[in-house]
Amino acid sequence: MTDLTLSPMDQPALSAPRPYWGWVAVRLFRPLLVRLCAAYLAVLVLIALLVPLIANGQPYTCVVPATAGHAAVREYPLFRDLGTVSWILLVVAAALGAQGVVISLSHRLPKAQRMMRRRVGAVVITGITIIAGSLIAALHHNRLDAVNYRSLARHGLITHAVFPPVPWGYAEMEPLSKGLINQYPSHRHWLGTDGDGRDELSRLLWGARIAMGVGFVSQIIALAMGIVVGALTGYFGGIFDIILMRLVEMVESIPTFFLILTFVAVYGRHILDIMVIIGVTGWTGYARLLRAEFFRIRNLDYVLAAQGAGMPLWRVLFKHMLPNGVTPVLVSAGFGLAGAVTIEASLSYLGVGVQPPTASWGSMLNSAGNPATVFRWWQALGPGMLIFITVLAFNLFAESLRDAIDPTTMGRR
Amino acid sequence: MTTYIIRRLLLMIPTLLGMTFMLFAVVRFAPGLTTGGGQFSAGIMQSRQAQKQEQQIMERRLHLVDKNGHPINLVMQYILWLKSTCEGHLGTSIVYQEPVLTLIEQRLPVTLTINAIAMAVIYLVSLPGGLITALNQGRLIDRGYGFFSLALYSLPVIWLGSTLLGFFANPQYFNWFPSAGLHSTNTGNMTYFRYIADYLYHIVLPIVCSVYGGFAFLSKQIRGSILENLQQDYVRTARAKGLPESTVLVRHVFRNSLLNLITLTGMSLPGLLGGSVIIEQIFSINGMGRLAYTSTLSRDLPVIQDLALVGSVLTLLSYLAVDICYHLADPRVIYD
Repeated sequence: MTDLTLSPMDQPALSAPRPYWGWVAVRLFRPLLVRLCAAYLAVLVLIALLVPLIANGQPYTCVVPATAGHAAVREYPLFRDLGTVSWILLVVAAALGAQGVVISLSHRLPKAQRMMRRRVGAVVITGITIIAGSLIAALHHNRLDAVNYRSLARHGLITHAVFPPVPWGYAEMEPLSKGLINQYPSHRHWLGTDGDGRDELSRLLWGARIAMGVGFVSQIIALAMGIVVGALTGYFGGIFDIILMRLVEMVESIPTFFLILTFVAVYGRHILDIMVIIGVTGWTGYARLLRAEFFRIRNLDYVLAAQGAGMPLWRVLFKHMLPNGVTPVLVSAGFGLAGAVTIEASLSYLGVGVQPPTASWGSMLNSAGNPATVFRWWQALGPGMLIFITVLAFNLFAESLRDAIDPTTMGRR
Repeated sequence: MTTYIIRRLLLMIPTLLGMTFMLFAVVRFAPGLTTGGGQFSAGIMQSRQAQKQEQQIMERRLHLVDKNGHPINLVMQYILWLKSTCEGHLGTSIVYQEPVLTLIEQRLPVTLTINAIAMAVIYLVSLPGGLITALNQGRLIDRGYGFFSLALYSLPVIWLGSTLLGFFANPQYFNWFPSAGLHSTNTGNMTYFRYIADYLYHIVLPIVCSVYGGFAFLSKQIRGSILENLQQDYVRTARAKGLPESTVLVRHVFRNSLLNLITLTGMSLPGLLGGSVIIEQIFSINGMGRLAYTSTLSRDLPVIQDLALVGSVLTLLSYLAVDICYHLADPRVIYD
């Protein structure tokens, strides 16, 4: 209990002086559990971005053998049939990778040069990503390829086929006549099949895309709204505060899940709708936190100095005040991510979430059977465990972040 | 204090107006409202004439059209709805054909009993949990309890609920518990104690599901406030004057830490009345949550609007009650 009372000043300095966020990162990633959580979440994000390359019924490549009058042709069915969203997410994944390369290449440079490199790299990569993404969105057309490549490969109609590790798409059904629905795990379907004869493992992997997508997009929307409202109310106070806080109270006063249900029931169940709805019902906590922080910060000397130097308002607000007030909001966003994943799964479980045949962990839980009569536990185990571990990882991460930025625990090694 | 309460009550008015109008607009802008059907049509084919008549009655009742059948604009609709609500007429459900007030009267006791029992269990575990972890700060038991309760908090109720139901209330595996509802069918010839026992037997699984997620938050809060209070001067004074450690802990630290519970309890009051949609849906309990769920799905406008209104009035009032109770319990807290 003694280390509670030690101020950070009394602590022996680390090897080199670090900026605040360096401090936080070092303290955050010290426990093994947090590193495990971060690794798990990183893998999940990667799966969400790359899932069409991991679980898909079409081969990466195959050769259509020569017939009379036709030479042999090499085909790339998987890449030819990737949807617009998948292409854009692949570009995003490539951009993230490029960002990582830039950071690791500039690691040993002196500080000024390093910051320069990274900043230019970030701008260039973001620009290329945005341009490429909008080009894809504008020009690419989705195709529907209903050819069963597995049976073609089995009958020798295509050769040299290279299938993804999980050779099933999320909506591919086994024919009913084969009696392959509701199968236990087997070598054909590693985690069994569901009531429509679809591969459980493939649907689990595709479900990661929905969960991560809803989680991150909804929380980015919520953060943006919360930060703007919180910053304005906290900075200006007065009449501004009174009016905007009524808005916060309005959204807060209805139970969140009821509000979301009403919105979802009324305005469609498209995945984008659900992201936006979870976002616009979940920003009030962030606004409150940031408002409280800004009340504290706005009279500090450096803010007065920034104002006195004639900086524009947005620069004072978002460049000087925000970085010093944003940490509790970030902690809360970690819990918010977990909450958004839960809400999406619950909505899909109730049948008002994403529409079939889109794979969502919640709807997979639901299709594990009516629990009171037929309950196929092995179908519920996969999605249940994944929701559990994902939500736990986000919560643990957020809690560790809170401990890492908490000055009262600074002394603990 | 009186001025403070009056100011808070006055500030509630714009919030309520804004909230109800927002919800009103959301629901009424939507395509495909339930304005017909329901009333007489259950299983009976109606003539087109009768259908049209019923539609007109419904539209007039929801203030969608005026007496002459001309459509009314949204703001006017809202004002008419507000007028009838302020006169004390809550709406009538389209689907159930009953006043919303009657529906709430039927459903509220169900939800309230279950949630009150769940709440009691949560407090019974979290209070000692928070105390023990605070006194063993940083030790294995603290970290273990923290991790375990966070894991429980993260456990999705849709998975645990359906798995419990699937294993323990299912003839396929263990048929130990009833799978739905709150009472057996033969309640008529039960003695009073049998009736209570039967009820408790029915709510075991729902209670388990509504309880386990609550430990983490509450214990964490209690732990935090105990740790904070342990640093206070009055604790040192109490120890210095030679009080036994147990007295210091229970009479001084713990009692002061309970102040924070006012806030937590007050904040959870609306949830207590609102009920959990998911738990009530999984275990087929006809409570408030299920009412809200089914009425949003069937777009039962009057029910949605009135539930939201009642819910938000209760929420705002309980926030106010929290602040007042806080002042009463701890006179140092003063509002301007």
